[in-house]
Amino acid sequence: MKPPSAVEPSAAKGIAYLRGAPLMAFALIYTIVSGGPFLWVAMMSLRTTPEIFASPYALPSSIHWEKFVDAWTKSNYGTYFWNSTIVVVTAVALLTVIGAMVAHCLARYRFRGNRLVRFVILSGMILPPQLMILSLFQILLEYHLYNTLTGLIIVYVAGHLAITVYILEGFFAQIPQDLFDAARLDGYSDLEIFWRITLPIGVPALFTTVTLNFIILWNEFLYAVVLLTEDDKRTLPLGIMHFMGNHQLDVGMVATGLMIAIGPVILLYAFFSETMIRGMTAGAVR
Amino acid sequence: MTERALRQRAATPSPPLALDARRASRATLIILLAPALLLYAAFMVYPVLRTFWNSVHTIKPNNVPAFVGLDNFRALLGHDWVFWKAVGNTAIFAIFATIADVLGGLLLALALFSRVPFARFLRVVWFTPVLMSYVVVGIIWVWIYDYDWGLANVILRAVGLGGFEQSWLGDPRTALWSVMVTHIWKWLGFNMIIFLAALYALPVDVLGAAELDNCGWFAKLIHIIIPMLKPTILNLTVLSFVGKMMIFDLVWIMTGGGPLWSTETVSTYVYKRAFDWNTFDLGYPSAIAVLWFLIILVFIFALTQIMRQRERLEF
Amino acid sequence: MARVAITELSKLYDGGGEPAVKDLSLTVGNGEFMVLLGPSGCGKSSVLRMIAGLEPITSGKIAIDGEIVNEIPAKDRDIAMVFQSYALYPHMDVFNNLAFGLRRRGIAKTEIERRVQGAASKLGLLPFLKRKPHALSGGQRQRVALGRAIVREPKVFLFDEPLSNLDAALRVSMRNELIRQQREMGITAIYVTHDQVEAMTMGHRICIMNKGEVIQIGKPLEVYRNPANTFVARFLGNPPMNLIPTSVEPDGGAYQLRVGGMSLPTDCWPAETLSRLGGKALLGIRPEDLYETAQRPDERRRIAIARAHVIAVEPLGAETLIILSLEGAAEEVTMRSGRETRLRPGDNATIELDLAAAHLFDPKTAQVIPPVHEEREARWAKAE
Repeated sequence: MKPPSAVEPSAAKGIAYLRGAPLMAFALIYTIVSGGPFLWVAMMSLRTTPEIFASPYALPSSIHWEKFVDAWTKSNYGTYFWNSTIVVVTAVALLTVIGAMVAHCLARYRFRGNRLVRFVILSGMILPPQLMILSLFQILLEYHLYNTLTGLIIVYVAGHLAITVYILEGFFAQIPQDLFDAARLDGYSDLEIFWRITLPIGVPALFTTVTLNFIILWNEFLYAVVLLTEDDKRTLPLGIMHFMGNHQLDVGMVATGLMIAIGPVILLYAFFSETMIRGMTAGAVR
Repeated sequence: MTERALRQRAATPSPPLALDARRASRATLIILLAPALLLYAAFMVYPVLRTFWNSVHTIKPNNVPAFVGLDNFRALLGHDWVFWKAVGNTAIFAIFATIADVLGGLLLALALFSRVPFARFLRVVWFTPVLMSYVVVGIIWVWIYDYDWGLANVILRAVGLGGFEQSWLGDPRTALWSVMVTHIWKWLGFNMIIFLAALYALPVDVLGAAELDNCGWFAKLIHIIIPMLKPTILNLTVLSFVGKMMIFDLVWIMTGGGPLWSTETVSTYVYKRAFDWNTFDLGYPSAIAVLWFLIILVFIFALTQIMRQRERLEF
Repeated sequence: MARVAITELSKLYDGGGEPAVKDLSLTVGNGEFMVLLGPSGCGKSSVLRMIAGLEPITSGKIAIDGEIVNEIPAKDRDIAMVFQSYALYPHMDVFNNLAFGLRRRGIAKTEIERRVQGAASKLGLLPFLKRKPHALSGGQRQRVALGRAIVREPKVFLFDEPLSNLDAALRVSMRNELIRQQREMGITAIYVTHDQVEAMTMGHRICIMNKGEVIQIGKPLEVYRNPANTFVARFLGNPPMNLIPTSVEPDGGAYQLRVGGMSLPTDCWPAETLSRLGGKALLGIRPEDLYETAQRPDERRRIAIARAHVIAVEPLGAETLIILSLEGAAEEVTMRSGRETRLRPGDNATIELDLAAAHLFDPKTAQVIPPVHEEREARWAKAE
């Protein structure tokens, strides 16, 4: 759908413009379709429910910032937010360190069992969560990790190690071997090499996996809904569901709740859009 | 030094360990691999095996698990019509949403590739839904589908098609498709980005050569661009299809599988049988999960075989 | 067959900066092989892509056979192009790569078959018709790319450094192949390269470009012999022409050039031009126009003798390059000498400069100072 690359001065320019019009219209429509719903929620978050029911798609007539305070204080939002933060930050940190260690081994060293380790870990990418969720429920119960953030963190780390290793290994394998040979000749030990060469050089890849894991885990729902039931353990997605359940008819309040959940993501996205896009799509491009 | 020791040394002419950077000492390997492997063993491998074990048992709270052999599978395949309904729904979902995802993603990518103004900005906006959690997306779309004031019906009424207004999620005939539209909406941006990367990786000269060979943009798309994107198309198809065979979150949030099982998927059915039904048996849902996993494996295997057969394209 | 006329062509890329092509005018005659030669980034490929219609023109005109094609899309210009990367269709076999453009033009099946078979046999591609590009060697791919242009029988061939990805031996044979095809078909060709050997051997004429501008157009040897400025002087010839800073000093009514301790007569150049130089000039002399005393062919009359110190000797097999520093001058000069030379680093040598072959450049403008004509012509007449 490339426009003809030939020149279009004067008269021809007008024709090209007309030809471009459907494209522009399409772009505009899809922009409204993809971004519109978020704008709509943003507007509703500042309006009261009676206002919304009077006219669901109107602009805010008077802006009700106090709704955010209400949503935050009258429900357990603070707790949900805090829980999500603890779980995601810890899990992402562990994933990054443990994943990088494995990726370094697989990318760098020839050792017996190399292929087996790779197969076992990477096969985690095709295991559906449903295959593990029921027995994880039993296992966490037995280990007294059910209904704990620790349990959820462990499950998250185990579940996302595969994709993390996959991305990191691909990157680490491209670091020239000469660098490692040189470090070895300079008397660095294996662990020092990992720490001082692989990790610093791998920063872009680490950044990518951090972004990817952060977004996915921040949004994760299935494991959380099975493994957490107590209200003060809930992560944000569960919290919003719960909030929605309690305020079913109070659309204005739920919209405020949604805005609290997506606000930080939108804010981050506005500043780091390229990084986040690259992160989310990292596992899919070969 | 004994003769034997000497011979042994001669037999291993490998360079001293410390100088071969492709080798690591056992201690290094253990330190680096142990955390991952232990975690994997306890929270991936063991659960998978246990699910397989579960699937041939009946497991009720406070009871000793009872071995039932293949009874669960027999019941499942024989006379569990909800399961078959769920399989049908999941298949419809996987097939149609995958086609829409791939074609739609390609269309969006082509729009950006054809140097539409503000392409960078549009790319960012179009990708936004991918970043949002299913909970957020689900709730917003439940509103959009609301009978009284939801955008879908409001638009229909506004353009004079009020007769088509629906209780989109409440009517068994439209519920599955409505959820599907939401799912496609959420993921189109993802496919778009992958296609866009592939489009920009196409060699400019080949596209130029096609122009000199009398191709307008449509001929170029059909004869050159799409054939050259084939690997990406296949790759995304597999990824998208397998992902949709596991769909749970969005359905659970928007409809919970209802109404009348019209949106029940295999995954939501597993969850329901395990935690929502008063059977309290973990064995039966485990059998569903195992069976479904095997089917997914077959699909992955078959699709990757197809991909392997594809011819290598070198630019 | 066609005549390509380019008038005041300019190209500005988005994002500003210097124009890639500036007011370029050039006419390529019917059946002519024109080479655009210049360093990378000089705008020569942009010119080619604008002729092809692959890139918009910022200003100026391109006409093929008198018809201005500025607004005609690439597909309708009837031009064939061979790309540096070959740009073969990776998903089509060789036959279809060759046939695609013909099919798109609605040519009859039998005719397509005939032309493809013809081109394939000419280029030795018959055994590979069913292969895809990735199963071909570099040379074979290059021939497919050439074949794709040939079967089209277009008005104009465009070549964008088509040989630069081949190894040296293949490059020579493909060069000859390409010249033969172009001469046989008599199709106008424009060939872009940064390789002076290709330019010298292939083109009817060379157009030397630098920084988006035409520096000099002419037949290959003409340009080699009479570089218009120091850029051409340095760019053509390997090793490049020696450019020695000299001072121009009045000597009675005439002028003298002083290089270190040596003075040279200036009767090759008009005195009134020399008077305007402000006392400085660059003396250009090709390495092959310097001689060891014993090796000078006798008939060279206009000779200057200089003393020099040998810095390095580089035997290349067929010839030997001698790097010298002229006495009293800081500059190093290169002399092309026979393989039997006895000079060694550290030697002092007496060398001879063939002044009839020397050039004088104005250091301020870098342009050549036109010589008094008869002298020059006489020298070349003798050489040929």
